Amino acid sequence: MKKVLSAIIAVILCASFCLLAVSCANSGAKKYSIGIVQIVQHEALDAATEGFKKAVTDKLGANNVTFDYQNASGDTANCTTIVNGFVANKVDLIMANATPALQAAYNATRTIPILGTSVTEYGVALGLENFNGTVGSNVSGTSDLAPLDEQAQMILDLFPETKTVGLLYCSAEANSLYQVKVVEEYLAGKGVTAKRYSFSDSNDVSAVTTTAAAESDVIYIPTDNTAAASASIIGSILLNAKKPAIAGEEGICSKCGVATLSISYYDLGYKTGEMAAKILKGEEKIENMAIAYAPTTKKYNKTIADELGVTIPEGYTEIK
Amino acid sequence: MGNFIASMPSAIAQGLIWGIMAIGVYITFRILDIADLTVDGTVCTGAAVCAVLVVSGVNVWLALLIATLAGILAGCVTWFFHTVLGIPAILAGILTQLMLWSINLKIMSGANVAVPSRSYSVLLTQMNVPMALVFLVITAVVIIALLYLFFGTEIGCTIRATGSNGAMSRAQGINTNLTKLIGLALSNGIVALSGAVLCQYQGFADINMGRGAIVTGLASVIIGEAVIRRIGKNFAVKLAGVFVGSIIYWIVYQTVVFFKLDTDLLKMLSALLVAIFLGVPYIKKQLSGRRKGGVVNG
Amino acid sequence: MDNNVMLRLSGIVKKFNAGTVNEKVALNGLDLTLDKGDFVTVIGGNGAGKSTMLNAIAGVWRVDGGSVVLDGVDITNLPEYKRAKYLGRVFQDPMMGTAADMQIEENLALAARRGKRKTLAPGIRKAERAQYREMLAELGLGLESRLSVKVGTLSGGQRQALTLLMAAMREPKLLLLDEHTAALDPKTAATVLDITERIIKEHELTTLMITHNMRDAITHGNRLIMMHEGSIIIDVRGEEKQKLTVEDLLEMFTKASGGEFSNDRAILS
Repeated sequence: MKKVLSAIIAVILCASFCLLAVSCANSGAKKYSIGIVQIVQHEALDAATEGFKKAVTDKLGANNVTFDYQNASGDTANCTTIVNGFVANKVDLIMANATPALQAAYNATRTIPILGTSVTEYGVALGLENFNGTVGSNVSGTSDLAPLDEQAQMILDLFPETKTVGLLYCSAEANSLYQVKVVEEYLAGKGVTAKRYSFSDSNDVSAVTTTAAAESDVIYIPTDNTAAASASIIGSILLNAKKPAIAGEEGICSKCGVATLSISYYDLGYKTGEMAAKILKGEEKIENMAIAYAPTTKKYNKTIADELGVTIPEGYTEIK
Repeated sequence: MGNFIASMPSAIAQGLIWGIMAIGVYITFRILDIADLTVDGTVCTGAAVCAVLVVSGVNVWLALLIATLAGILAGCVTWFFHTVLGIPAILAGILTQLMLWSINLKIMSGANVAVPSRSYSVLLTQMNVPMALVFLVITAVVIIALLYLFFGTEIGCTIRATGSNGAMSRAQGINTNLTKLIGLALSNGIVALSGAVLCQYQGFADINMGRGAIVTGLASVIIGEAVIRRIGKNFAVKLAGVFVGSIIYWIVYQTVVFFKLDTDLLKMLSALLVAIFLGVPYIKKQLSGRRKGGVVNG
Repeated sequence: MDNNVMLRLSGIVKKFNAGTVNEKVALNGLDLTLDKGDFVTVIGGNGAGKSTMLNAIAGVWRVDGGSVVLDGVDITNLPEYKRAKYLGRVFQDPMMGTAADMQIEENLALAARRGKRKTLAPGIRKAERAQYREMLAELGLGLESRLSVKVGTLSGGQRQALTLLMAAMREPKLLLLDEHTAALDPKTAATVLDITERIIKEHELTTLMITHNMRDAITHGNRLIMMHEGSIIIDVRGEEKQKLTVEDLLEMFTKASGGEFSNDRAILS
């Protein structure tokens, strides 16, 4: 048994050294190395990463930059390991895609610039009191927060008769709860009852959605990773119940929502990439950069809107 | 090459932290002979309690202590399900773990609590790995020493006997219900402690922290046993072996990540590793049993 | 209350799978009185209730009716581990009586603490080791030089001898032996039986010994009982017992039960 174990480790190490030798041989002129740590794979996060890479290669030239993209497969312990690898490799910049990734990076290095993306609230994520929009030190980034009050107002604009709104989200996601709370408050201020419906993971999405649909006039879904992954299921249930949903982002809206105040995750990632380029070229210092937001567009899903008989006013773009 | 070596200290630190958790698994799995799945939840409970307390300004040592107590409580719940309600051990552990999911969310008032070392005085942080290593090595030594002494006491021996032969233990006047309680409480207390240490090191507590912890723990125990076997059978050596196993596991993991091999496969690799190392001795026993036949010879 | 009575079983009833198709009444209003110092051998066919009777005394489960009084104390409602301090037990399976993962001396140390409150004191002290070495030497099996060996590496006969030693250690009021040589080869079985006789005589232990070997049942002990279908049908002591032969026993059985004795092992040995 001990022999088998030693053999396995030996094989891994040998393969590793070969790869190392190869990569060492390739290092030539000054190239920027950027480590990308993404918590899990899904559409929005992937789009952000793509946008980021595009912006960086546009601004710095594809030959001048190497990306080390690592996916943590949903395991927060992996984030720590991945970031440790980046620090040991002395990358020039770390892009942290989603909250746990950002937190892991924040606690691993004070010197390497860290740009977060797909993070909703930086003050909460980093435990900063009295957050004023700039993190300072070696951290900045972009937020996927669409102005939540505008988002909540969209519900009332499109469905003025609404009495109860069901807030559908995953209890395991810090970002979602934050958005839900803000929307809840806004709606309460307008005299509309909002009730929370949370599922713990993709296994109870169906059950919870069905209940929410039965008890609400309209559903609101924040930028929730689990909801995004289960959007098709949510869509079938809502169409069956003939209930409309307003989604926090385009990906979810395209599968189950009527309209969204959309920020494109690709654009968000692109903006992050632009910030990265500025930092790497020395044009700006990261400690002075405030958290940036992407512009929003009102978008609607024609298929679902038609099926539910919703009339979409002027100013909305159709989701392709 | 230098960069690879530079990534090792943090990997070793992670190995030591998860080694603490693996010690908890060792107590239930090897000593008590119970497969306790509560640990997936208890890791997060320890982290959640510690994070929330530290953020509220509680002294960090006190926070560690309270986190450990929370883990002990979790172990008691599993014991209750198993011993008082008669639910099979594995299921009892799963039930407690499910309960802990909701409880942890409530403790954190959400899915995540940040405890960055920049804002709070924590005992160890990934920002300063050398100091973290010092803290962790001392902690490991203290844990090994305390457990070595404990399992040499009369009460400790009754726990070992319970795990080795329950019927015989009762025939020798041992209250096996009580020993199981002590074992489960102790184990989960230690696992919660590991969670509390982990949240300080990585700077946050997250509801998803414990997922698959039992497999990591088992892998560490088993790798450790395979490596330590030639060195000695002393109990302290065996406990040290658990830490060694965990460190090896995390070094392999860091290596895989460092050289951009497919991390998706790592969970499968850990599971296969556990299956192989558990299965080989079992098969060996089956084969030799068949050769010797039924009657035991004097 | 007679001061000379060690064990009194009154009207013991035990049913398995009660209320189902498989219901079996293992013990049917069993009565048995043992005097202090009695060494009773118990024989009977398969399913006669011998082991069940021992388990009822040991408290492995609660009986469905009747009472168990040991040396004047009613232990009917005590859990198994609480009765253990009055009893010594050796099982048929040599693996059952000792903890395989623990050393010989650790097993003995556990037995030495049977019935005592366990604390955080060391599980075994230096002084004890000398004692154990002496005890093991008397067995004559060479175990005295292997105190720190794990019990799992010992042979079945050695484990049974060890279990016997452990059972007798705290001067139990009653020694329960459940076919404890059945799984051993003839030579080892004889050795273990010798050790058994020695220990019982030395400590003057009241003993119930189940055996499948009718000759052993006759030669050992001062009293012999035969069980059938949950009750005692034959009870012979003293001189009458000494004079018995195996053929006598078989005849007595047929008369008392009205059937053929159904245990090949017992007849052929």
